[in-house]
Formats: sequence, structure tokens, C-alpha cells
Amino acid sequence: MARVKLPIGPQHPALKEPENFTITLDGERVVDVDIRIGYTHRGIEKLMESRTYTQNLYLVERICGICSYAHVVNFTQNVESILGIQIPKRAEYIRTLVLELERLHSHFLWLGVAGHEIGFDTLFMYTWQDREVVQDLLELISGNRVNYAMNAIGGVRRDLSDDQRKKILEGMDHLEKRTAYYKEVAINEKTILARAENVGILKPKIALKFSAVGPTVRASGITMDIRKDDPYASYAEIPFDVITTDTCDVLGRIVVRVLEVFESIKIIRYLMEHLPSGDIVMKVPRKIPVGESISHTEAPRGEDIHYLRANGTERPNRYKVRTPTMANLPVIAEMLKGTFLADVPIVVAAIDPCMGCMDRVLLLKEGSEKQGDLIAWDRLRAYGIKWYAERGWKA
Amino acid sequence: MTVTIERIKEVLQTVTPDIQSKTPRRVFVSIPRAELTKTVNIIASELGAQHLSTITALDTGTVFEVLYHFLVDGIVVTVRTSCPKDDPTVDSIVNIFPGAILYEREIHDIIGIVPTRHPDLRRLVLPEDWVGGYPLRKDWKPPEGEE
Repeated sequence: MARVKLPIGPQHPALKEPENFTITLDGERVVDVDIRIGYTHRGIEKLMESRTYTQNLYLVERICGICSYAHVVNFTQNVESILGIQIPKRAEYIRTLVLELERLHSHFLWLGVAGHEIGFDTLFMYTWQDREVVQDLLELISGNRVNYAMNAIGGVRRDLSDDQRKKILEGMDHLEKRTAYYKEVAINEKTILARAENVGILKPKIALKFSAVGPTVRASGITMDIRKDDPYASYAEIPFDVITTDTCDVLGRIVVRVLEVFESIKIIRYLMEHLPSGDIVMKVPRKIPVGESISHTEAPRGEDIHYLRANGTERPNRYKVRTPTMANLPVIAEMLKGTFLADVPIVVAAIDPCMGCMDRVLLLKEGSEKQGDLIAWDRLRAYGIKWYAERGWKA
Repeated sequence: MTVTIERIKEVLQTVTPDIQSKTPRRVFVSIPRAELTKTVNIIASELGAQHLSTITALDTGTVFEVLYHFLVDGIVVTVRTSCPKDDPTVDSIVNIFPGAILYEREIHDIIGIVPTRHPDLRRLVLPEDWVGGYPLRKDWKPPEGEE
């Protein structure tokens, strides 16, 4: 039978975000995959060069809508490293708390998406209901559900009250019970096993070869976790385990994330019980001295690494971001080779891709105009109104 | 055996004397462009590095700097090299670290540094028909007539 090339995306009902996969099929089997990205590139690295460090604090948060805080922590750690300051211990604890709450909500979100991709929408609705508990806690602490604006350069912007600590601990009790149930479901439910076992195989050798990161490699038996390898915030003093499995398949990636939820709950309880007293922020200068710094964190999807070059002014000279999805992209192609077409969505979802995070530099442009033209917002709006008006719609 | 900063200095001093570690678990190794493949090979074979975190490229105004960030036993080892602006090429390290494939495409796409002998230099993040130059160069300006 002749091979068929099947383009999926950038706009496609099975995709949650714009990306393009060109899949070569031999019957129902995938034999080759080509991935195109860049559809949501927003130019953040370039934008950062023209904004002050304080403005960038809020821009960096908008790289991602899920793991926003991992980016902010990297940014503030980089600036603080060049300044040569050590932030107050209480601030470090609060940062670690928000990082772990973020991991909880991200993992619940992912578990729901994974359920949805295999047609198990009950799981999706259950986990997203529980995710609301985490979202409410984040809102209680920071005032926001997604972009928390918790960090300042030199510490955090909001303190924790005793009442908030109590509510966080209550939330953890609830989530622990629910996660115990999800663990049972993930390991025993026949529909999950049928769709996830021995699907999307990633051998440890391949994972290492392509420098993959996060739960994706931990499900291939590789112990890599930046929280342990190169501790930041207050991870060096908190007891927790790095979860790995050696099944190398989608099921392993489910199990790793579910078990990581328990570890996060354990970390949050430790933080709440040992929260030091004292200041939460220190005063820092507006101008950052000449220097460079690398900071990386274990975001929910894996290693998130940032590089900062400062030139003594109020603005960075260069800021570089590499998100975990970018690191995991080459292994998607490896995991897809040999699977059935129907398994493509769940295998892709199993790395927990976040395309918005990964693409950062797009300059908007329209096909009908001269090539390479940029288009300003008001003109784009006028274009949209005209486009619909021509088709009989009212603006 | 766990790799320490002393061990890194010991192994890499055959290539360059310029090895700096100013903050904990961060090492910067500066090398001439011609020594890149040799240095990366040493990092892979003698230090046992398996993880390339990413590649950063930047325009200093006079030259392009390229930084390769490796993770070795919790230490971020950064290899720094540079190329002149009128000859923006560096050797590709894809044959040593296949994980570099997208990172090298990215620096080619947005700053215009050509990794020689790279197997696939299509655009990565900018549109396929982009003619607006290399946005991350310092002398870059948005195409005329627009904001």
C-alpha cells in the first residue's frame, strides 16, 4: 500500500493549541513525523530587551498560562544572582509553596486532558473539579487564579496569614483523598490500560540522546529532577522523593504525575508546618550591574531554563528562555513512530505540551499583503471588521 | 563518580585556561570557535554529560556569542564561544548531542548564526516566508511603514 502524508494542524479539532504535525502513514501505522511550531510566537525575548526589570517581571509571567510561576521564579532568581543577594527565608518558603501549588493544578489539568484524549471524559470532569480546590487556594494567597504576580525582585509581594495556612492544609487533606482514588483508577481501570499500556514507547537511551526533560523522562526510569539535582528556593531542606517508573509508555507518564501529586502535597504540608518568620522582601536597586546568570527550575513539564545578560542599565541586554516543551519536542517524533494513527493525540498529550510557552516571537502578518509586512492592531481590527462585513456579518 | 567543579577545571584546562565559577554550581568555559567540537566531545566523554539544556545566542554589538548550557550532576556547564559578525558560523554539535537539533535551528532562525553541517536548517519559529531579517540582532529594525 502506498504511504500517505497526513497534515494535522495548525488548526485541527484534535489539537488544543496551534502546531502542525505532518504524519507519514503506512496503513494505520505512523512511519514518520515532521513537526512545525511557531504559530503562537509572540516576540517576548525581544520585547524584554526594551522593558525595565520591573516591567519584565510581569511580562515573563505571561510566557505560559499554566506554569507561569516557574518562569517568574527563574527571572527573579537570575536578577537576584547578578545582584548577589540572598532573599529572606520566609520568601523562599512562600515561593516554594506557590511552585508546588502550580504543579498540583498543572498535573490535575493534565490528568483531565489525558482522560479526555482517550475518550474518558468522566475523569476529565472529576480532576478539573478537584483542580478548582487548588485554584481557589492560589486565589486566596495571591488574588489571582493564573498569573499570580507573587514575586518581587528580592522576595515576594504577599505574606501568608495563619488562616490561609489552615485553609491550605485543609485543601491538601481533600486532594490527598481524591488523588488516592485517581491512583486506583490509573492503575486498574481497563479503558486506561487498554489505551495507555505499551503506547508511545520512549526508551531511556532515546530520552537521553535527545536531552528530554520532566515527567516524560522520569517515566523512562531516568532520575532527573532539578529540584534535587540543583536545588533552588527551599527545596534543599525539604524531604521528598523523585518519582520514576520504568514502563517507558503513556501509562508510566500517568503514574509518575499522579504519584508526584502526593509528593507535592507532602512538600506543601512540610512548608506550612515549618514556615519561618521574618521579612518577605528586601529593597533592591533599579539598575542591575553588569553580569550574567543562568537559572533553571523543575516546572510541571520539566526543566525550564532561563539565561540573563545584564549590562548595568535598567533593562536586560539579552534574555533567553527555553521551556520544557521545546526540549521534549524531538522525542515526540520518536514516540510516535510505529504507533497507530488513533494513538497520536494521547502520545502527544503525554508530554503535556504547552505550545504557547514554547513559541515566543511572532510578528503578526497577513497573507494577502506584501510579504514580510507587519500589521498594527488597529489595522488588523479594521481588516477583521471589513472581512466579516463583506460576508454579511455586522461588527 | 560525581563530577565536581574541580574535576571540570582539571578536564577542560587542556583546552582553555579561561574557566570561571563565580556562583555555586555554575561554570563558564570560554573557548575559541575552532575548539568547539573538541570541547563538547570532552564534556560528553570525560565528564559524562548527557543533557544539553539549551543553546543561547546573543549579539554583543561587536560579535555574536554562542553559549551551550550542559547539565552535569547538577552543575550547569556553559561553553562560551563567539563568531565575527561577517562570518556568523559555528560547527554544529548535533552529531554529539542530537538534542541540539532544534536549538541550532532556533539560533539560525532568529539571529542568523549558521551551524555548519547541520542536517536540517529550515525555519523553526518564524514564518516560512519571513523576509524581515534576524530580530534578535541589535541592529534589527521592524520592516518600514509599520509600528
